[in-house]
Amino acid sequence: MITQTAPATPPAAVVPPTPAIPRRRRKPSLYRTLSRVLIMLIVIVQVYPLAWLFLTSLRTEHDFATGDPFALPSSLTWENYARAFETGDLGRNILNSFIVTMGANVLIVLFGMMAAYAIQVLGFRLSKFVRGLFLIGIIVPVQIALVPLFIDYSTVNLLDTYQSMIIPLAGFALPMSIYLFSSFFEYIPRETYEAASLDGAGPYRIFGLITLPLSLNTVVTVVLVNSIFIWNDFIFANTFVLSEDLKTIPLGLQNYIGAMGKVDWTATFAAVCVTITPLLLVFLVLNKAMIQGLESGATKG
Amino acid sequence: MLPNRSRTSVLVFLLPPLLLYCAAVLFPILQSLFLSFFSWNGISDMEFIGLDNYVRMLTADDIFWRSFFNALLYLAICLVLQLGGALVVASLLTSLRRGRELIKTLYLLPAVISTVAIAFLFVRIYSIDPVGLLNQLLHWIGLGTFERAWLSDVNTVLAAVSAPEGWRFTGLYMLIIYAALIAVPKELEEAAVLDGASKWTLFTKIRFPYIRPVWITTTIMATTYGLRGFDIPYLMTNGGPGQSSELLTTYMYKTAFTSTDFGYASTISVFIVIECLVAVGLILFMLKRKADS
Amino acid sequence: MKKLIRAAAVAAAAALALSACGGVGASSDPANVSPTGEIKPREISWLLSRPADGAVINIMKKLADDYAKDHPGFALNLITTPDRPSYIQKLETLAAANKLPELFDTDATPFAQHLAKQGKMVDAEKLLKTLDIYDDYRPGALDYQRFDDGSLYMIPFQFELEYFWYNKALLQKAGVTVPKSLDDIPAMCTALRSAGITPIAIDGQDQWPLERYVAYQPFRAAGPEFVQKLKKGEAAFTDPAGQKTVEWMAALGKAKCFQDGFSAQGYSDAQNQFTSGQAAMYNIGTWELPSLATDKLNSAVRDDVDFFTLPTTAGSATAANEFVSPSGIGMAVNAKTYDPLVSDFLKFALAKYPAEYAATGALSPTTNVQTTVPANATPLYKKALDTADTLGAKQAMPWDTQLDPTTNGRLQQELVLLVQGNITPEQFTSTMDSTIKQNAPKFFK
Repeated sequence: MITQTAPATPPAAVVPPTPAIPRRRRKPSLYRTLSRVLIMLIVIVQVYPLAWLFLTSLRTEHDFATGDPFALPSSLTWENYARAFETGDLGRNILNSFIVTMGANVLIVLFGMMAAYAIQVLGFRLSKFVRGLFLIGIIVPVQIALVPLFIDYSTVNLLDTYQSMIIPLAGFALPMSIYLFSSFFEYIPRETYEAASLDGAGPYRIFGLITLPLSLNTVVTVVLVNSIFIWNDFIFANTFVLSEDLKTIPLGLQNYIGAMGKVDWTATFAAVCVTITPLLLVFLVLNKAMIQGLESGATKG
Repeated sequence: MLPNRSRTSVLVFLLPPLLLYCAAVLFPILQSLFLSFFSWNGISDMEFIGLDNYVRMLTADDIFWRSFFNALLYLAICLVLQLGGALVVASLLTSLRRGRELIKTLYLLPAVISTVAIAFLFVRIYSIDPVGLLNQLLHWIGLGTFERAWLSDVNTVLAAVSAPEGWRFTGLYMLIIYAALIAVPKELEEAAVLDGASKWTLFTKIRFPYIRPVWITTTIMATTYGLRGFDIPYLMTNGGPGQSSELLTTYMYKTAFTSTDFGYASTISVFIVIECLVAVGLILFMLKRKADS
Repeated sequence: MKKLIRAAAVAAAAALALSACGGVGASSDPANVSPTGEIKPREISWLLSRPADGAVINIMKKLADDYAKDHPGFALNLITTPDRPSYIQKLETLAAANKLPELFDTDATPFAQHLAKQGKMVDAEKLLKTLDIYDDYRPGALDYQRFDDGSLYMIPFQFELEYFWYNKALLQKAGVTVPKSLDDIPAMCTALRSAGITPIAIDGQDQWPLERYVAYQPFRAAGPEFVQKLKKGEAAFTDPAGQKTVEWMAALGKAKCFQDGFSAQGYSDAQNQFTSGQAAMYNIGTWELPSLATDKLNSAVRDDVDFFTLPTTAGSATAANEFVSPSGIGMAVNAKTYDPLVSDFLKFALAKYPAEYAATGALSPTTNVQTTVPANATPLYKKALDTADTLGAKQAMPWDTQLDPTTNGRLQQELVLLVQGNITPEQFTSTMDSTIKQNAPKFFK
């Protein structure tokens, strides 16, 4: 992905941009109006759930139970938020999710880049085989690894630690990251490396001075994609974490489940709203960085 | 290959990721493969039964085949929504002059919401008693005859659980494709427009071929995530009614953790791995042939 | 690389084999309930599936704190996973890795029976008798926890009765009365439907509520033994009692007894339908008393709500005062980690628990305490509690704790199809009977 947009430094391949190509014809064509309307519709479909979630978190329990769930609430209350903070240790959960997400992301990005560099740039005799080996991980369903992993972790005493969540999350995300980095590295022209090599740079310096700085866009993408999955991961956390102190957000949300599966939904939604806020913020920042990166990639040449 | 590389440097870069990968992914997979030849409920002694699990899966398990075909249909719906939707929106976006950033961000929002909340919301949207949003809309636009309990009707449930999954990640793929689209050199497009190319030819002849590599990546990504789909069907219908929305992944999970038949569950997951390999192979093959022709 | 893979496979085999065998034989004697030796305080864990802020957890936390005052260094680590499917997954993984904590929750399932057979659980009957509290327990509360052979390995912490709650005003509006027999219910639903009322609100998403219904007819026709035979393949759905329930379930569906699209509706949805006055009936246990019999109940329906117990049928093998009265998920004691400390703590906690629990307005699994009726209760609250004293000797067991898990899963799926009219009673019967035939031998050999 992003791939061929990126070659920032080199050379004639990327053509100087013609920013905002001036179009002479300005008549509001049917096509344009239609696409505007379509985009607005789609945006509504995409944004509506979040708005609904937020509104529901402000409803009174009674209103939620008896009213039309899609109508505007008859009265607003912050009480659900109070209950959400009372029942669960949301701050702790958010912190844990943050640690796990960051930890896994560091591994995913660093190791993904290193492996892709070894396979794609350095190259070696068995590189095709190793690439294939990693490919298996893109497609294996995570659920079946649970029992073996659990047994393995209990033998090496890793259960109930941050690592027990970070390692499998990173491991299962690594193949995709390697794949993305390698397909990006493919677009860094050979000549760049050869030139650097002639200047006497070794593989480590080339990695640090050329590959790494060029890959920033891909890094952002990889982090962005993985954060979404990891932030909401339930299955590994539920399997490997036992103590209250290590519970991540999806586990924390379970505290709103009462007897026989009865759920305090309004409090749950309040908690959901609180817990997605950090991700949302990071996300907005990253999103901007990603777009900037992309555009600078296209214009610098 | 880099001229100055050494054996050590390859190892330095390759070993740490490989070790992590082996410990977290490869080793458990091998353990699963190993388990698939056994009958094991997790607490009794394991019993070697050779290929019995495979024979049972392929010849004697009606739910397995049902879930297999369900999974394919689920995948198809997700792909259409995710890739088709992403491509359309990305193309529309390029024609927009203002507000692109905002729309891109808004479009990604569903991806950050936890599946529990999404499942809960969609159960309400599909509901008939009390009337949910979808049925209300149908009623308003005069298609009242289509009103139904979408998640209880065996004919509609699979589509109904696929849609939220597809919808969730459309934004992600849209961003990827959009990034590729804006990188299409403007000169190529301008030249084509001067030649009198229609919007459609512009798209099929210039833009699409240019983004083909990204398209392949996205397709592979969407396919493998689609085949691994689990949460939303599991949370919304738990595979029901009957087996109408049972996927291979949910069936495997239940076999392992409800029936405590870890051996047989491993067999199913070996099948899923093979299925995914075949799918990715097919995609690459088809796209290559299309590119060659 | 090939070598590496081969080595990994061998290692995998070894690791699994080790962990699989390690559990057997390593445990101490499950019959030895009074271990001797010094009480060495340490932290012990209880893996449980109960509401995080519920009475059981709050009380046990408090009791553990009290115990720790006299035994510095003691702590009770409560690890709760309220969502039952997630909990079961966790329990099974822990069992497979042989890492079960000192105390853990489980129903009397075939899986638990395997654990008991392997000597991984302490004999609860002996334990309670040694602590001299066995006779305090309601026989029904203990029976609910027993395996088929009568052995007892789990200790109950609750006692609940399941009732059909109904809305008098809605029944009156449709011109129907409380059903005298189970067989009256389909006709009653038809009448309610034609008055524009949803007859029964049911939580279809969690599967167990619908599965309750399939248990009723056989319990009345053939007593509690039917399901015990059925699960082993000694009885079948083709038997008269089996056919009766299949036909009845199909009739319920045909009469549209449950709300449209019930299979995707959750617990709260169903309850909301009843408490908002849209549905006429709602089948739920006394754990919902705080929502159904206090001033928290929607004032619009508060005065109209009442309940009846499971109706009988003509020629019933069981009496009207015998119905579903579960004592909730039970607590098992891990035999491997059972030592003087665990024993002493249980002695302390189990003696004090009933009084604390009854004070919260819930029914204790023991008979030695009086439940406190909360100040905001409606008269219905006391009526619901008092019914507990008039219970008969037999109880209807929920089938989900009885059947082997594979059959149970299939039954839950097929029941929805049967009630929705997607399959015929004949198809249902043959599918279920062959499923039982296929799976029962594996679990009940």
